[in-house]
Amino acid sequence: MRLNGLLLSVLLLALPASATEDLLQFESAEQQQLYRQLTAELRCPKCQNQNIADSNAVVAVDMRNKTLELVRQGQSHDEVIDYMKQRYGDFVHYQPPVQLSTIWLWLLPLLAVLALGWTVFRRSDSSQTAVVGHADEQPDHSDLDAQLQAMIDEATAANRQQPKE
Amino acid sequence: MRKALFYVPLAAFLALSLFLLSGLFSDPRDHGSALIEKPLPAFSLPDLQQPTRLVTAADLKGEVTLLNVWGLWCPTCNAELGFLTELRQQGVRIVGLYYVQPVDAAFGDTFDINTLRLDVQDKLAEQGDPYLLNIVDEKRSLIFDLGVTGAPETFLIDRNGVIRHHHVGDINPQNWPKIQQLYQQLQQGGSDAP
Repeated sequence: MRLNGLLLSVLLLALPASATEDLLQFESAEQQQLYRQLTAELRCPKCQNQNIADSNAVVAVDMRNKTLELVRQGQSHDEVIDYMKQRYGDFVHYQPPVQLSTIWLWLLPLLAVLALGWTVFRRSDSSQTAVVGHADEQPDHSDLDAQLQAMIDEATAANRQQPKE
Repeated sequence: MRKALFYVPLAAFLALSLFLLSGLFSDPRDHGSALIEKPLPAFSLPDLQQPTRLVTAADLKGEVTLLNVWGLWCPTCNAELGFLTELRQQGVRIVGLYYVQPVDAAFGDTFDINTLRLDVQDKLAEQGDPYLLNIVDEKRSLIFDLGVTGAPETFLIDRNGVIRHHHVGDINPQNWPKIQQLYQQLQQGGSDAP
């Protein structure tokens, strides 16, 4: 618990590091929100896995400026993303498009879950049929108890019939 | 059936290993270009030698051309000049697209095309001049429209002004043969190529 608190405070300390936004003027809070969202979603094509809000590479700065310009013109989220994709390709957006080449990103996890579910199902099914009669499930002991009781009775009866020598 | 299932984790592990192994040999800078088979974006930018003359996309048409994005500030580009000059001597048409880095006005930096022209002249006199002409993109507008991420980058443009190949990084004797193949194909394609 204390460790969690410590981790959380360290994470909170790291927050201002990504909030290096210049003093930009927006017409509305919506535009500001859109600009924030876009710069977080767009990926810097020069860097290895940084969004353009996070990078100071020349191309990232240019993309931020272009984003700002387009947002100020009143373009929508999708319009700005398309504008960037036309120039820098699908790579530039962190959300990959559903295509023949990317369909596996969705299919593979689905297939894995299905295959796993199927295996588990098969397994529980076969263990039920194969292991019936063994002590796998809650076995019925009444039979054994009866047998044991019968043996005890037999033994005591035999004992009585054979008195001490 | 059970036996087959037994080998599934092994197979999955091997497949994953192969996938990750192939990643070791891939170039992380290579993520395709959105402009292949598209015409050169429209532009109108000054020629470095005669800043009053504006170069447009139409000026590049007519011959297969290498459009080389470069800058004096970029060491790899400078290292590339020698080899590109050799290519020019072999008859390859190379047009430079000069990548102007942002100037920081806060530090009193300004951009002056005449200073740049003299600096470029000195450099090219020293290293060799591969360029038919140099287009100066002060605001990086064409550079942005071309999806350039840095320098050096080179575009192979056919006679009709259509971009056929986008090469990220320098051109050197090792990777030139591949580009040369495309270049020659386009040259032999004739002017009636689509």
